[in-house]
Amino acid sequence: MHAVGALEAGICKYILISYGHSARSGGGMSQVLSRMAGDDAVFGHFGAAAGYALAARRAMHEYNTGPDTWKHIAVGQRKWANLNPRAVMYDRPMTESDYERSPWIVEPFRLADNCLVTDGGRAFILTTAERARDLPHPVVTIMGLGMHNPAADPVAARHLTGPTGARRAGEQAFHMAGITLEDVDACEIYDCFTYTVEITLQDYGFFGPGEGEEWFRGGTIEPGGRTPVNTSGGLLSEAYQMGLTPLTEGVMQLMGRCGDHQLGPATGNIKPEIILCSDNGGILQTHACCILRRN
Amino acid sequence: MTLKDKYAIVGIGYTPQGTVSDRTTLDFHLEACADAIADAGLKREDIDGLVCYRHFPPAPGEGDVTPYLVAQHLGLEPAYLAQDAN
Repeated sequence: MHAVGALEAGICKYILISYGHSARSGGGMSQVLSRMAGDDAVFGHFGAAAGYALAARRAMHEYNTGPDTWKHIAVGQRKWANLNPRAVMYDRPMTESDYERSPWIVEPFRLADNCLVTDGGRAFILTTAERARDLPHPVVTIMGLGMHNPAADPVAARHLTGPTGARRAGEQAFHMAGITLEDVDACEIYDCFTYTVEITLQDYGFFGPGEGEEWFRGGTIEPGGRTPVNTSGGLLSEAYQMGLTPLTEGVMQLMGRCGDHQLGPATGNIKPEIILCSDNGGILQTHACCILRRN
Repeated sequence: MTLKDKYAIVGIGYTPQGTVSDRTTLDFHLEACADAIADAGLKREDIDGLVCYRHFPPAPGEGDVTPYLVAQHLGLEPAYLAQDAN
């Protein structure tokens, strides 16, 4: 949204957006994950996993969700990663019983509910659709954008079980695009934890609170499923490049450049024209929604 | 006027990922940027805007990576230079 603003203002023509982190080997991420800040650290509550676990636990209390819902997300995304040679988990299949045997990190999250910590980088270039027509790849445009940041500290937040920022950001993006959920061919959802995928899709309106287990059941998001989600493996099984993991995968799918995990006849899906992408930050404190279209 | 379909993503940059030791955060930014420019069929000098996506603290022993630093290492002097918050 920031980059679109700079282009719209006429400040620049080709804008590069970049992410990188030596998160794994350099140890940068461990500071985020285990930083003990605030009085609650004394009671054992610290780090991003604990914050999201708190939200997920509250959701379990309020409506029907939990590991029976999240296992479909972890296992489904892993199936996509197993088709993507770039994915860190490319050669590591995961069954439902593997999920159930995965060790606890912060209850109710097991290791398989947590995203990867990876070294690496990702970048993309944004320009006008008009200029894009002179460049080599199929033109993939931004059809809709939305952002909403209910940035309350998790301790004081009332939105952690929904509606999160995804509700309003989604409404804005769909309004701009002039489409409905029915028009979306696939989703690339920021998935720092499995629960993040559930609450985001729920807030976008794919299902109501507590209906996630039924919605995900039966391979909905997997290759050949009716709503493919996180087709690179996502942050859970491809790599952590923050919001650029979902966004760049959405673009690559629409360009038709995804090899064995390309949505189409080979995966048992339709060739996508519209893909819904999300990013969120903090403990569900910020949210951006971007709808992409192949032109 | 609506912004619908007015802007397009034209190139994607990747780097090796997973466990890639002896590389800094700055290294990964630079490789991803160079790869994206090549992928888009553009020249370095075409790039006149740079946004670093929101980021985590640097690894111990590494300085924080700023958009200015990335631009400097790429040999760019973009008209627009920013650190994104989301």
